[in-house]
Amino acid sequence: MGTALIKAMILRARPSVVASLSARSLALGLAWALFIVLCALPALYMLGASLHGADGGLSFKNYRLLFIGTRQRELLFNSALLGAGASAIATFIGAPLGLLLARADLTAKRSLRLALVIPLVVPSYILALAWTYIGGPTGIVAQAFGRDLMSVWTYSLAGAMIVMGINFYPLSMLATEAAAGRSGSLEEAGLLAARPGRVLRRITLPLIAPGIVAAALIIFVLAVSEFGVPGLLRARVFTTEVFTAFAALYDFGAATALAVPLLALALIAGIAVKLILGDRLLATRRGFRSGLPLALSRWRVAAFAGLAIVLASFVVLPLAALAVEAGRLERITSAALKSAGAITNSLALATISAILIVALAVLLGYGRARARSKSCGFIDLIFITIFAVPSTVLGVGLIGLWNRPGVMGEVYGSRLIIVAAYLARLVPAAALILAAAVRQVPVSLEEAAEVAGAGWPRTFIRIVLPRIRAGLAAALVVSFIFAFGELGATMLVAPPGQSTLPVRVYTLIANAPPGEVAALGLMQACIILVPLALLGVFARGRKGEN
Amino acid sequence: MGEGFLRLAGVTKRYADRTILDRISLDVSQGEIVALLGASGCGKTTLLRLIAGLERLDAGEIWIAGERVAAEGRNLAPPRARGIGFVFQDLALWPHLTVAASLDFVLASGGMPKRERARRIADTLQMVRISRFAQSYPNRLSGGEQQRAALARAIVGHPRLLLLDEPMSSLDADLKVDLLGELAALQAKLDVTTIYVTHDRAEAAALAHKDFFLLA
Repeated sequence: MGTALIKAMILRARPSVVASLSARSLALGLAWALFIVLCALPALYMLGASLHGADGGLSFKNYRLLFIGTRQRELLFNSALLGAGASAIATFIGAPLGLLLARADLTAKRSLRLALVIPLVVPSYILALAWTYIGGPTGIVAQAFGRDLMSVWTYSLAGAMIVMGINFYPLSMLATEAAAGRSGSLEEAGLLAARPGRVLRRITLPLIAPGIVAAALIIFVLAVSEFGVPGLLRARVFTTEVFTAFAALYDFGAATALAVPLLALALIAGIAVKLILGDRLLATRRGFRSGLPLALSRWRVAAFAGLAIVLASFVVLPLAALAVEAGRLERITSAALKSAGAITNSLALATISAILIVALAVLLGYGRARARSKSCGFIDLIFITIFAVPSTVLGVGLIGLWNRPGVMGEVYGSRLIIVAAYLARLVPAAALILAAAVRQVPVSLEEAAEVAGAGWPRTFIRIVLPRIRAGLAAALVVSFIFAFGELGATMLVAPPGQSTLPVRVYTLIANAPPGEVAALGLMQACIILVPLALLGVFARGRKGEN
Repeated sequence: MGEGFLRLAGVTKRYADRTILDRISLDVSQGEIVALLGASGCGKTTLLRLIAGLERLDAGEIWIAGERVAAEGRNLAPPRARGIGFVFQDLALWPHLTVAASLDFVLASGGMPKRERARRIADTLQMVRISRFAQSYPNRLSGGEQQRAALARAIVGHPRLLLLDEPMSSLDADLKVDLLGELAALQAKLDVTTIYVTHDRAEAAALAHKDFFLLA
């Protein structure tokens, strides 16, 4: 009877399984097609364009120039120095903080983590702007000492390095915390034989080192890809030169040639990160065991003092500098009214884009999470590499691709091109976040639904999506925050009259009173903090549920 | 203090508002193997972790070899000072250390001279029959070999008390029978007091001198 029952179940399940397979293939195929068109093609276009000469034929002239031009060598040196410096500073600040958050007996840890993440979500050029108000020729420091002591440092490659180190330390912090969270039972095994200090040196640090190194590499690439900070602090690097070559000189060939090292760097970094992290790239589940406890005891005061200094210097001070420069509330209101169009535009475009990004990324993430092992590494590599493509390179690629007669030209001439830029930049990151979330959902839950007769769309909507609510919320908030702050690609592709808030702030820096710019910058930072706070509240609610 | 080598008196452990272990008392004599049985979630692993000092008890006392190691909600001796060998349920083999390096870590932490360490490691690996994997990393070992490596790490320091947390749960039946036999022989040779957590009565019957049931 048992066998008959199993046979009946299989027969009943088979048609739905077949149908669901095809529905799943269709949905995932469509998602991948959209990903290739929207996210991969702009980068591929730039790669192809770099191989064309002035006559349209195949040429390696752009590459030859890269190796023989002194200007190129200087740019390469500056870009590498910027990336390495920012990465070192971010790791130096972030890794100890991550270890503290993972293991120390701190109070209000969740709120502390949220506060420490703020420099990552505030757009980097807003941070740079704040630092110009602190260390610029007429900044707070100059006013306090009666003379300009810092502006030489503020407006320099070193200044850009420091600002980006501050901007990206939360990445190192979160990566270290995540890595430390996975080594709990391994440390406990060590604690049975050794003192905590020895366990830290011999077990904990070697285990979390790959996570820290991978984060440092990602920070290196993000810093090299950054346009806003070096542009504002007058550091000459590849990204600023791509922008100048295209936007100021209209030299498409030079822009594509300058983009080549950045594309190569994105690919190398993608491969390196994947090699270092392997499948841990998508590992989000914390270890069951708490592991080595970091009892602060007599170091408690020192740890709190350190945390207070970090929060005061890197979170409170920049925002306070913007607030001081912005001045009275009326000035902020007046600046907001003058830029109402850009603010509304930004809010609408970031919201729509975030929804579209998550809609596409959830399918891509699902596909990645359920992919067979051989293709997993390749998919991760594609996501990381596309995410690492600098915004200005992406912007030039989008223009080359979409600026054509017909329907594509109509898209290019409308606000849709900004949405396309946001999608191209952020879908890969959102897909990785959601792949990690889907991986936590056991496949057996879907199989049970299939056996019960549900098709794939129903299984996906009723079983998978409710199980990844937290991941969806995180991806939505992250996408909104970074779309709202996107500058490099938007500067290049935004049609006339369709300015966003970041573009308006950036263009006003040279043309408007500092107070008005600071007011807009402060507003932008505050708008971004709202979804971050909501995410914090949501996470707390989830913890309560569990 | 009673006669037992390991003595638990009124041990209580709570997580938030849930009591996992409620006034557990237990006496285990020197050299005895006790199987700790019970349904999933009844607190078997928690009890082992309390004995090892990896968790703090809420009430009660734990004595090992006449020394009070935990009482009044505090651990009076840290895990490393309790003379314990522990085979974790997930084995917890350090992925960045070879089998020999893992054993060396344990011995060096106890301050043993290098030459003596090398001899002890060789003896231990021979005892659990994985000498040829001394320089292998855990991910290069099969399930049974990993099990033996974890056991080697647990016994290399000649512990006073061996705690085994469902060490056979992921093994197939044949391998389980083999390893149980070897484990019994090893325990007899080392004369180490052993607590063996399992939910399998057959395993308990094959190995233990005494069974102890924990009720959920």
